[in-house]
Amino acid sequence: MSKRPAYYHFLGCIIPHRYPSIEKATKLVFNDLGIDLLDMVGASCCPAPGVFGSFDRVTWATIAARNLTIAEQGGHPITTGCNGCFASLWDSNHELKEDEELRAAVNRNLADIGREFKGTIEVTHYLDVLHDVVGTQKVKEHVTRPLNGVRMALHPGCHWMRPKLVKKKDDSERPHIFREICETSGAKYVHYKDELICCGAGGAVRTADLKTSLDFTKQKFDSIAAAGGADVIVTPCPFCLLQLDTGQVEIQKLFGVEYKFDIMHVSELLALAFGHEPDEFGLANHLQYSQRKTEPNWERLNLRAKAKATA
Amino acid sequence: MAENWGQLKSFEGKKFEALDAEFTKEVSKLIGGQDLTACFQCAKCSAGCPVSDKVNIQVHELMRMLLFGFREVLDTDMVWLCTTCYQCQQRCPQGIEITDIIFGLKNMAFRKGITPPGYVTSRKALYDNGKLYEPTDWERDDLALPPVPHLDVAETRKVLGKTGLMRLQEGE
Repeated sequence: MSKRPAYYHFLGCIIPHRYPSIEKATKLVFNDLGIDLLDMVGASCCPAPGVFGSFDRVTWATIAARNLTIAEQGGHPITTGCNGCFASLWDSNHELKEDEELRAAVNRNLADIGREFKGTIEVTHYLDVLHDVVGTQKVKEHVTRPLNGVRMALHPGCHWMRPKLVKKKDDSERPHIFREICETSGAKYVHYKDELICCGAGGAVRTADLKTSLDFTKQKFDSIAAAGGADVIVTPCPFCLLQLDTGQVEIQKLFGVEYKFDIMHVSELLALAFGHEPDEFGLANHLQYSQRKTEPNWERLNLRAKAKATA
Repeated sequence: MAENWGQLKSFEGKKFEALDAEFTKEVSKLIGGQDLTACFQCAKCSAGCPVSDKVNIQVHELMRMLLFGFREVLDTDMVWLCTTCYQCQQRCPQGIEITDIIFGLKNMAFRKGITPPGYVTSRKALYDNGKLYEPTDWERDDLALPPVPHLDVAETRKVLGKTGLMRLQEGE
């Protein structure tokens, strides 16, 4: 029997602290697929690329490298379900392997805490594991509850695949990998004009100017509506999810426009398609539901009967 | 608290100091800055930029300001409203790493204390807690999730002390 692939699971800040449902769904899905996720004791913030990349490159790279050394010591690659964490960890790993000057500066900082960046591991996103290691065909074989008839809009976000010449993941002007993974769920892909623009939160614009950042989010929602609407919006990033999810509540307050989209992380979409119940991973705990005192639109998601049965 | 960033709202009636070759030289050393002179102002960057319709000064104008050596570029809203989506960089026909240049400009602006207040709050959170959010324990308990793996904040604080995160701004 071949050994199960094992990854250090980099949780980041948003997943465990704001959307633990994503963490739970990921654990269910990866366990179903026969992949081990290892706890990363001692991990800090990645650090958030938009914020900490804006202060000082060496500081950003040092904190990221400290996280990388935890995985290097254990000898397993990292996987993360956040485009932001992926950006900081992947980019710093890449830059530290290429840029000797940066590496020397970072290792001088790390020496004080008895660590050293060696450049011995790789950083992956869940999408890489699902697509390159498991394969979409095998993902599909685990689908026991296809989400037939559910209209699904996608928000791939930016930092898993951009800049494309450096990341070499997908053609970020015409991406297909994220779509293929989501389509294994059986939901119907809905194309809309602004699929590839930022969610609005990126680069910490959410931190700089909330209203401007929500302006984009609104543009995205309007673009989906113009394409005939969608029952769910799926993203591979919890920061995008936060923006699309709580952004609806904030947009209502600031612009007086009401949107009612259910937003899911790709792990949550797959957990449902793999037959897990929404209660098993806390789908209804998403912040927009607690803030609005509502729940997911079970009927639209084809989950009504199941949800009632378990209630 | 008065906003101190994005204060250059228009070129209209604005008188700039003589071209500052030193500043252009300085930004040429940023990542991506070595290709600054390759910019021929096609404005494809601004055409693909999702904030073009939301900012006072657009990306191609920012690029021109760098070539002209206008230090006032650090006061444009484009610097802090860049979402780092990399669209400009990917579409630049001259292959200029525009997003990387903007990251470098943010580093320069931050040192001068030109930054949205939220960034300063996040900096403190990283130093104090090593993370940007605190866990909601009951929610994790409900989902039978174990506690978030332990982080020794003393270690991250020590390394941040060494990098000087809390003393980056001039006069701190």
